[in-house]
Amino acid sequence: MITVRISFEKKNEASYISLLDMQRVMQRVLKRSGLPVWHTLGFNPHIYMTFACPLSLGQESECECVDVKTEAEAPDFAQWQTALNAIMPAGIRVTRVAPVEMKADRIAYACYRVSYPAQFAEQLERYNALDTAPVEKKSKRGKKVVELKTYVPRLELENDGEQVHFDLCLPAAQELTLNPALLTAFLEENCGAAAANANILRTCFLTAEKQLFA
Amino acid sequence: MFDPKLKEALGRVQKPGRYTGGEPGSVYKDKEKVDVRFAFCFPDTYEVGMSFLGEKILYELLNRHENWWCERAFMPWLDMKAEMERLDLPLYTMESKDPLTAFDAVGFTLQYELSYTNILAMLDLAHIPFYAKDRDDSCPLIVAGGPCACNAEPIADFFDVIQLGEGENQLPGICAEIEKAKKTGISKKELLRNIAKIPGVYIPAFYDVEYYEDGRVKSITPNQPGIPARVTKAIIRDLNEFAPPTNFVVPMVGAIQDRASIEVLRGCVRGCRFCQAGFLYRPMRQRDASLLNKAAQDLCANTGYEELSLSSLSTSDHSQLEELLDDLNEWAPKEHVSLSLPSLRVDNFSQSLIEKTTKVRKSGLTFAAEAGTQRLRNVINKNVTWNEIEKTCTIAFNAGYTSVKLYFMMGLPTETMEDIEGIAETAQKVVDLYYSNPNHAKGRGVQVTISCACFVPKPHTPFEFVPMDTAETLQAKQKHLLESVHSRKIKVNYHDSTTSFLEGVFAKGDRRLAPVIVEAYKRGCYFDGWEECFKYDTWIQTFADLGIDPAFYCQRPIGLEEVTPWSHMDYGVTHEYLVREYNKALAAQTTPPCNRVCNACGANHLLGGPCFDYSKNLV
Repeated sequence: MITVRISFEKKNEASYISLLDMQRVMQRVLKRSGLPVWHTLGFNPHIYMTFACPLSLGQESECECVDVKTEAEAPDFAQWQTALNAIMPAGIRVTRVAPVEMKADRIAYACYRVSYPAQFAEQLERYNALDTAPVEKKSKRGKKVVELKTYVPRLELENDGEQVHFDLCLPAAQELTLNPALLTAFLEENCGAAAANANILRTCFLTAEKQLFA
Repeated sequence: MFDPKLKEALGRVQKPGRYTGGEPGSVYKDKEKVDVRFAFCFPDTYEVGMSFLGEKILYELLNRHENWWCERAFMPWLDMKAEMERLDLPLYTMESKDPLTAFDAVGFTLQYELSYTNILAMLDLAHIPFYAKDRDDSCPLIVAGGPCACNAEPIADFFDVIQLGEGENQLPGICAEIEKAKKTGISKKELLRNIAKIPGVYIPAFYDVEYYEDGRVKSITPNQPGIPARVTKAIIRDLNEFAPPTNFVVPMVGAIQDRASIEVLRGCVRGCRFCQAGFLYRPMRQRDASLLNKAAQDLCANTGYEELSLSSLSTSDHSQLEELLDDLNEWAPKEHVSLSLPSLRVDNFSQSLIEKTTKVRKSGLTFAAEAGTQRLRNVINKNVTWNEIEKTCTIAFNAGYTSVKLYFMMGLPTETMEDIEGIAETAQKVVDLYYSNPNHAKGRGVQVTISCACFVPKPHTPFEFVPMDTAETLQAKQKHLLESVHSRKIKVNYHDSTTSFLEGVFAKGDRRLAPVIVEAYKRGCYFDGWEECFKYDTWIQTFADLGIDPAFYCQRPIGLEEVTPWSHMDYGVTHEYLVREYNKALAAQTTPPCNRVCNACGANHLLGGPCFDYSKNLV
């Protein structure tokens, strides 16, 4: 039995599917595809699936993945990709199907591209004038204060006339994961750029050695 | 990419996935290439609307026409409604995201009376005037269908077209007329005259209603040539000609009923006198087991659902049910698909049925006993006996079930406090039965849930003549029920009597209620079916301010010869039959199921012959 990683984009409509709903959606898509994926052997057998680094509701991604198992010998992964793309909901597109090379715990960073309508450029610039940007992060173990400036010293703004963009690379490891929504919430509260206007796109994962995760 | 305003709204609301579309199975077309655009509106939340089988049937049927595009719209929840108003985002459909005003026709399904204000809210969000008379030819045609069409008089003035009966032929017929009208450029009035010729179509503006001084209806008469005095509902004679839909739009945000569902039969043979559906959908017609099996298999394959429900008003009355279950069990367990039968009857539940439906997963067990004593069950013609309940529960307990839900109603005609005590006694007897059964699940207790609804008399039933219990009486009965329950193994759920009251008013209401509904909406009433949103005091004040007595509609006995607001609606069952059944009810006499003997209700005329081949044993 081998573990197979299905990498996919999650954009537009699909960015509003929560992780919980995503599991059900993927379960049904895999079932419909008829692909030889392995089922758990419990009282209620279901398709074995694991998702890496859940994406927040409303954020888009070019680098999502779900791992499944198969007992098939020499599966045709190009055919898997075609079969899955034929039935995916709007906004989800499978970009790669391949045996797992790196385990999910190799992920150390997640990179994001954040975009606002161009009229927010001035507000976003205000972040760069600040010396400190403390935010409160809630986790299962309680609340703690994180200094955003440690991870995002400045926003390198690119204005294409219609939109203003900046890139982020944030920790995404067991010890600490930072959601870009912490930054957009901070920008709303302290700089006047409403978070609802931000478009957040996760572009890739990196390992601790800053190697591309695959 | 979404429109920035929509994107902003989605960023601020709970469960934004309800407003985005894109679900597997949704149909997308090039709007430049379609001739008819139809917006199918469900006047409640996405989760409720996506549970509705009727929409799936018509969505597939209309979209099968290459040049028509049927899309979906739902009532946004409070937070989204507020965002849409703040951002001036008109109500849009899930597929194209176009506003409702971009459509040729906007259709609402009338599933329950308490959704009426949501229809106004949806029209309002789309900037469409409420009253048909205020809409010019540039407005989409506003149509409605569904069970409440049988007396949509309280909201009739809001619609251009109301559809009585089954939509499979009727709605495509309407769309075909719209397509023709667009090509020939005729006026809306001419279009309505053409549509009026389609079976089951009711054009409210083509009828005048006169009233007596005491408020009763005096007469309802057509005001146009060639319009019938009574509209007869549309019906599909042979259900096998319409295979159930095999493609569903599969919601990604969990719907309430989130499973594959096939309609095995339509109508019901039982003739329970309180049940409006039992009278509206006559005669009972079933689909062949082989057709159903094929459709079910295709549906599960196309949707990826792992639960299949065999739906109908009374699934165990399908004459080939055992055969169908055998066919389904050939493939369902292999595909990890579990079967559920939502409408089982206490009186024909069998050991083999339970074995065939629990092969993959075991679900809860629910039975409708409806009344607590045999006398009252005879009055309502729910021909279920304690012996049958006992037998069924024994089978279930032997099979390892530890919880049973029992449905009852209170406020039924001729009901006394003794009948209310009977509800508690019935539940207690089920508890005792569990503990006296040596085969019950070891070491586990039993849970019996009593779910008790308030009875609302409905048009087109033998109980349309009876007054509804007052809120005080219903509350006294609820209190008495709670006092009559003495076991912690029994849980009691009951309905709020004030929502039932409003339901009763709309169910038997007339056209004079339209301004009340508009005013109540303006004062903030919508989502009336949701307890947290229901504003009873606002409703009562609105009735008072407009000089309308709501109790007149539902708490007054209706004379057997009175002209009712719905007397121009013909659902096949004769008035004489309703009167005969009403009199039998008062005498606690029962009527047998109509597949055993024809009781001459009149609905066979809809089929043009007898409903059943009585030479065969059908049950």
